[in-house]
Order: sequence, then structure tokens, then C-alpha cells
Amino acid sequence: MDTELNITRLPTPSPPSHPTPESYDTARSAHTPLIIDNGSTNLRFGFATSESPHCAPNVVAKYKERKLGRQVLLFGDAVESDSTARSQAKTPWEGDVLLNFDALEHALDYTFIQLGIDTPTIDHPILMTERLASPLHSRALTSELLFELYSVPSVTYAVDGVMSFYHNKLPTPPIAPFTADGLVVSFNTASTAVIPILNGKGIMSQAKRIPWGAQQSTEYLLKLIQLKYPNFPTRVTTAQTNWMLQTFCEVAPDYPALLRQLRSPDALRAAERIVQFPFVLPAADERSEEELARIAERRREQGRKLQEIAAKARVEKLVEKESDLQYLTKLKTRKAEESRREWEHSLQAEGFSDDGALDQAIKKLEGDLKRARKKEASEGDEGTVRTLLSAFHYTCSLIVTPHLYLQQEEPSFPLVDVPDAEVYLPPPPLRPLPFETIDPYATQLDEEGLKEKRKQKLMKAGFEARARARREKEKEREEREAEERREAEERGRDLAGWAGKLRAEQEAIIARMKERSRRKTALSDRKSAASQARMKSIATLAADERVPKKRRKVGGGAYPLFLPTPHILKSPFSIVEDTFGADDADWMIYRKINTAAASEDEEDDLAQLQAVETKLLAHDPTFSAEHTHAARASQRSALISAFRPKYEDGDAEGNTRIHLSTERWRVCEAYFSPGMAGIDSAGLGEVIQTVLSAFSAPERGRLVQVRASSFSSFTTCSTPTTATATIPPRHTERLPHRRAAHIPGLSARLHATLRPLLPPEMPLSIVRARDPPCDAWRGMADFARTPGFARTGVTRAEYEEWGAERIRRWWGGNWNMSVV
Amino acid sequence: MLVRPPKGAGRKRGAVSTSAEGSVTPQVPTLAEQLSYLHNPRPFKNPNYTKNVNRRAKNLKAVLGQERERERQEREKRRLEREQAMEVDGDAQDVPLEEDYPTYHSIEAPPSLLPQRHYCDITGLEAPYNDPVTGLRFHDKSIYELIKGLTTSAAKDYLSARGVNPIVK
Repeated sequence: MDTELNITRLPTPSPPSHPTPESYDTARSAHTPLIIDNGSTNLRFGFATSESPHCAPNVVAKYKERKLGRQVLLFGDAVESDSTARSQAKTPWEGDVLLNFDALEHALDYTFIQLGIDTPTIDHPILMTERLASPLHSRALTSELLFELYSVPSVTYAVDGVMSFYHNKLPTPPIAPFTADGLVVSFNTASTAVIPILNGKGIMSQAKRIPWGAQQSTEYLLKLIQLKYPNFPTRVTTAQTNWMLQTFCEVAPDYPALLRQLRSPDALRAAERIVQFPFVLPAADERSEEELARIAERRREQGRKLQEIAAKARVEKLVEKESDLQYLTKLKTRKAEESRREWEHSLQAEGFSDDGALDQAIKKLEGDLKRARKKEASEGDEGTVRTLLSAFHYTCSLIVTPHLYLQQEEPSFPLVDVPDAEVYLPPPPLRPLPFETIDPYATQLDEEGLKEKRKQKLMKAGFEARARARREKEKEREEREAEERREAEERGRDLAGWAGKLRAEQEAIIARMKERSRRKTALSDRKSAASQARMKSIATLAADERVPKKRRKVGGGAYPLFLPTPHILKSPFSIVEDTFGADDADWMIYRKINTAAASEDEEDDLAQLQAVETKLLAHDPTFSAEHTHAARASQRSALISAFRPKYEDGDAEGNTRIHLSTERWRVCEAYFSPGMAGIDSAGLGEVIQTVLSAFSAPERGRLVQVRASSFSSFTTCSTPTTATATIPPRHTERLPHRRAAHIPGLSARLHATLRPLLPPEMPLSIVRARDPPCDAWRGMADFARTPGFARTGVTRAEYEEWGAERIRRWWGGNWNMSVV
Repeated sequence: MLVRPPKGAGRKRGAVSTSAEGSVTPQVPTLAEQLSYLHNPRPFKNPNYTKNVNRRAKNLKAVLGQERERERQEREKRRLEREQAMEVDGDAQDVPLEEDYPTYHSIEAPPSLLPQRHYCDITGLEAPYNDPVTGLRFHDKSIYELIKGLTTSAAKDYLSARGVNPIVK
């Protein structure tokens, strides 16, 4: 399946052309009309005598070059070549309205320079295009520009759709009057226009314009892509989206039927097209095995060294402590020798306030040393420390008190058993006792003895408790092992049964979790039964008057769970008591009210689930990672994975792919219902119906040879192919060769839309213009060659008399502000 | 042939072509400079025309607003004329009909009268269902799960693609 992926790469932009200006000699002093098709996307210009127009994208960029610091003015293809130019690009058009006259001036400069004109004035009558019902501001400024700045002799404005129609339906001797009928559907960059033509005249008053064109389609597609891929690594530009629109998008002949067909994930996958964007491979961690091993070894070495250093430091401290202890005990022994005064003096010298302090210090040091010993013994880190210590002790062995050598001996608590006041004759001790001995013949324990005894009791209790805990742990371990053995036996005997049991348990836990989450969502919804019950119980708890006026009848199962059972007791003296809380179960109500808590239950469930699943995973061959709860929860539906396939995180190539499945038709469907994309306007089918309804029935019949022409919408202008085209007879429908520039499926869709609107016997034919981008220009050139052209223009004198807005009404021009 | 200097005093004069200006340092011109036609001669331009240098380009909203105003005024004027003609003659044959005056705004397509079909905001398929929390339309259960996991801003983006812009103050 993977080999059939339709992956297309983005096209690399071609370098800009560098056209040389034409030589002017052919047209000099010939007053040939100059045809300019001023389109929103492309500018086409040329003399009326040329075969085909020059074509360039209608963008201007004027900026200061970064490298050499010089001003630069670029037009057309050249603007795409430089990134600074692209950021400074300006077009004369904004959608359908001509606004930026500086840009228009530069564009016209370019055209005249390309045509090589070097006379002080432009000596040719101009035939230029206008939008349908163009705003007068645009027209005024264009006229002003042409007349004042370039001093042209006359200007005629034409509507491009009508001109393209003219070209496709040329009257056979070109000079004959134009009397064709038809409905022109013109797809422009920012709008789509429907213009009826009767008897060769464009009926502009009945024409309609839909504010949806290629520009809006591109934006819509871009928005859809951004919604589908919010974390796309690279930026998708408008130009790239435009290319995607041209290459992949189609019009569906029956959109709802197509959607029904695409419902299954397989159909989605079959219909998708994949665009591969340029991507960067991540820097691979190409460290080989040995390197990794070396790094790990180094780390371990460092760890060990640190450990050794720490151990040494500990030992040093111990040694220090021991020396301190020795010194202090020596000091103590000296007490016996010295006199009182000297003793005090020497104590002060050491820094102890009195005997007690000295004793305390000694005791502390002893305790520390003992603990340190014990720890070392339990850790087993005997080598270094023991050797060091033994070396030390070898040098000064005699003074150190013997108890420091005691390791893990059982401490004995002799005094615990000594009753406080009883005659007791213990046996004489066989070895030196760890504590100061008392007179064995004492009959009573004195203060100190009592203290000692209490201390020993505590220690004994602690010791016993620890022993008990150890025993319990042992027991637990044994129990667990026994359990596991039992399970293993069971497994051995009947694997399927055991697995089944565990699986049932897993399902039960999952069901419980789901129920809990459902309850949670229900509680968050204000109107659900669960949350209303919760409010009721809160209200009841908080009510001041918890006593009902009448005795509450508790009966039947109809009571919701949350109502507390009446704790109200009526004592014989009619004093009502509230016994909420006497019973432990009453407090459960707070659990139910508190929506934030209840995570302990979840955690318990999760832990249990995990335990069960690990057991299943380990022993059951049929249970795999997909059956675990985690995998099931994060599973995406088949539809969504077909719609937006997910790639791994590390797959750079996969993550820079865009899959277009339903968007291919969705974007072009917006022509027929712009409401899908948020534009409150009728779609193409409806508009055509509206336009047709304004005419009488026979006229309608004449109109319904629809002509679909598209220019300046998707196309890049290229040299036109020679196509054999015959004027289609009335009854048939022709689908001429498909240009990459035009939307496939459009004619079929128009036919399907219009056929039901018309009486069945009325013939309907839909024809596409032979060369959508350049046909308007060709039509204008054809018209300019006829003598009728001279009558349609506004001359210089008329411009100065009427002003810049008024034009002459003719069959191919606008009607607003026109003189008949 | 008089070669007039290019329009605009600030620019460099001279009728040299756009390629490298053979000055002191013969630097290779960049591609942009090669394609630039700033310094091409424009003899056809009228140097006396300077009106548009001072004027600021209007933006789309201003232009369309102005157009609308003018249309309204025209319509008013015509209506008055028609009424006057009625008073005088009794029939308004002289003044042509209202529909004969197409303007930029009158040409605009009317809003749609067909019932709107519901399409899924996420996938584009048919959407019989609606999510009450976000207002998104969806195709089936699994997509509903996806919608539940969306952030508010993502849901708003989906809605704005459809043209619904819920502004919550």
C-alpha cells in the first residue's frame, strides 16, 4: 500500500526571464491600438497587430538593494526572484478595485518600455480592461493617468469577460456586427461574474458578481491546511497554496454524493493526494557503540572516585572524633590526679563549663562513633575503613574503651527486669557490663537506677518492635511467594481460564473508571440529574432547619441516594436532636459532594489495572500491548487516521507532508455555495438562475449557451497552445482540452446545476474558452482591428470636457456613468 | 530624438542601461539590478504632470464608501426627477428605469436563499450533529472525541473558517 502513495513535491521556482524590449519600428507612427489587459493577477499587453500578448504578473517592487545600496524597480517575474522584493511587492489591485496608482504607473511604464516606445507621447489609442461596474474612483484615476501623464489620444474601457466571449464567437467576416447570445461566467481573481449577452450587447444591468474568486479560494485552502496541521514545521505560503489549488482541486459534479462515498477511511485514503514539503533531516546521533560505552565508563569512574573521596572524608572525621574522645577521656582521668582548682582551670582551658559538660561531650562522641561503626558494619564497606581504623588503633590501643569494638551484638537490658523495689540478687557478671554497674545488693533502685531502667525499657521496646517488623516482612514475603507459586501452578494447569479471569478483572476495572469519568462529566454539566442531586444534598446539609415540620416518611426506593436518612430523633420530650455524624457512613456524603477529590479511588484503580496488565502481558501470549487500557484510550479512530495520518516524532519527512483528501473538493465547492466559507452570498448556480429569471423565456433559450472563461485567476501566462476549436452547435456540450490552469469538472457541474432549472426541451451547452488567460486580450485585439473601435473611445477633448469618469456606452463596456 | 530625462528629479539621470555602471569599481550587478528598469528612459512621460505625487492613495474601505455615497445621491436625484416627470406628464417614460444603472454595489450577488447544508468543520464530510459546547459541526462519534479534546482557541479557529465569529466579551 505504501508504494502507491501519491506524493508530489513542491515545484521549485524557475528563474525569472529577462525580456529585452521590442523594437518600436514596426508600430511607429502607425497609430495601432495598444491593448492592455489589466488583470488582478497578470498584466497582458501588446499591439493590436501582434499575435499574442506579453504577459507578466501584475506586481511591482521598488526598494533599495541591500548589497550595493542602489534603488531598484522590478516588475513581474523579477519580483519573485528576490526575497526583499517579495516583501516589498505591491499590486495596483486590491481584490477587484484598482487602488494603488503608483504601482499602476510603474506597470504602465514597464509596458511602454517593453514595447520600445520612445516618442514624447504615446501615440496609440488605448483599449484597456475594467472590472464589471468598476468603482468610479478607479476609472477616474486611470483615465487621469493615461491622459495627463502619457498623453494618449483616446481610451476605451472594456469588460474582459465580454471580450473573451467575442473572441470565441467571432462573427465570420470580422467587420460584421457582433450578434451572438450567451451567458458569460468569468472567473476572476477576487470575484466571479455572470454577464448575459443578448444580440451582441452585454446587458450590464442584469449582470451579477459573486465575491468569491481564486484569491478567496486560496485563502480558504490555506486556512483549512492550517487547521488540519497546526504544528506544521514550515510555513505554507500563499503561492504554494495556489499551486496546490491548481494542481489538485476539482469541482465535484455532485457534492453530497461524493461526500457519502468518501465516508469510509479506505475511500479517503484512495482519494488523497500528498504534498511533500522540503524538510531537514535531524542531526543523527551517530555515536557508535564504543563511544557510548566509553562515555558510560567515564561516568562510572567519576562516580566511584566521588564515592572514594566521600569515604575518605568520613574516615578522617571519624579518626578526628576518636582522637578527640581519647583526649577528653585522658582529661577525665586527669581529674582524679589534679586538685580541684587545677581541674577547673584545665576544664576552662578546654572550653567546658563544668564536669557535666565534659561528660556530655564524651558521651556524644561515643554515641557518634558507635553509630558510625554500626553503619559501616551494615554497609559492609569494610575494606578501607577497617584497615584505616585498625591502623590507627594499633598505634594507640590501650586507652580506647572496649565497647567501641562491639558490632552487631544483641544489646541487653538487664535493668528492665529489675523491679523497682525488691530484693534481687543477680548473678555476678562474667564480663564487663556495658553500663555502669550498680551495687548488686541494693534492694531498691534509686533515682539514677530508675532513670536507667526507664531508658532500658524504652530501648528494649524499640528493639523488640524492630524485630517484630522484620519478622512480619519476612512473613509477607513468604506469603507473596506462596501466592505466586499458586498462580504459576494455576497457569500451568489452565492458561486460558486464568487469562480469562484476569481479563474479566481488567474489564471490570476499566468499566469502573469509565463510569467514574462519566459521573464527573455529568457533574460538570449544570442541568444533569447528578449535579442537581448534588445541589439538593448540599442544600439539605446546609439548611438551618434540619427538622421537618412533619415527620418525614422514609419509604420506597424512590428516594434519590443523596438525601440523608433522617437522623432526627424525636425524644420523648420533643427535643429534636440531630445525630448526623454518629454513624461513620454519614460522612460519605461529603465525598459525593466534593467533585474535586476522588482521585485516590482513581489511583487505586490505576494501580490495580497496571498490576493485572503486567501479569497478563507477561504470561498470556494473546494479550499484547494494544489491549492495555492506555493503548485503547489513545487509539484514534480509523477515520481520523485516514483523514490526517500521524507520523512518528522523529520522522522528519513524514511530518512535512500535507494530505489533501476532502479539501480538494471542498474548496471548489465554495464557488457554488460561498456560505460554506462564511461569505453571505448566493453561489454560482443560484446566481445564474437569478440572472436568467430576469429575461423572458425565449431570451433565456438564447442565453443558455453558457460560456465559461477563466483568466487571471489560476493561470500563469504561458505561450498559448494552438487548439482546434469549432464553434459548437447548439445542442451538444463540448468539453475541450483541459488546461492545467482551469478547474476540472466545472463544466459538468454547471451542466448538472443548470439542467434542472430549464425546461427539458431547451438545449443547453457549456463551452470553455479556448485559451482562458489570453482570450480577453485576443478579443480586444480583434475588436481593435474593426472600424467600430474608433467610435467607442473617449478622446482627449472629451476627457477634458466631461471629466475623468464619464465614458461612452458600447456593447462591451460598463454602463455606470456612461453616455449613450 | 529628444531624450528627456526620466521623470522625478531625485533619481539618477542618464540614459544608461541597467547593467553595471562602469564606475570606479566594476562590480557585478546583482540579479535584481539587472532586472530593474528604474533607469530606463521614459520619454513618453509628461514631466509637467505632478499632481499625483502629493496625493495619498485611498484605501479600499474609503473608495467603496465613497462609491456607495455617490450611488445613493444619484438614486435620490433620479427619484426626484422621476417624480417631477410624473407631476408634469403623468407618466414617467422620460426617465429611464432604475435598473438600468448598474453600480459596483448593485451588481453584487444577493444572499443565498437555498437552505444551508451542514458540513463537518473538521473533515468536510456531512455533519448531521452539532456540539453544544463549541458549536462545531461534526460527522461522527470519533470526531466528537477529537472535538472534546480541542482547546478553545482551536475551536474558535474552526468556527472562523466557517465564518462564525463568536465574540465573547
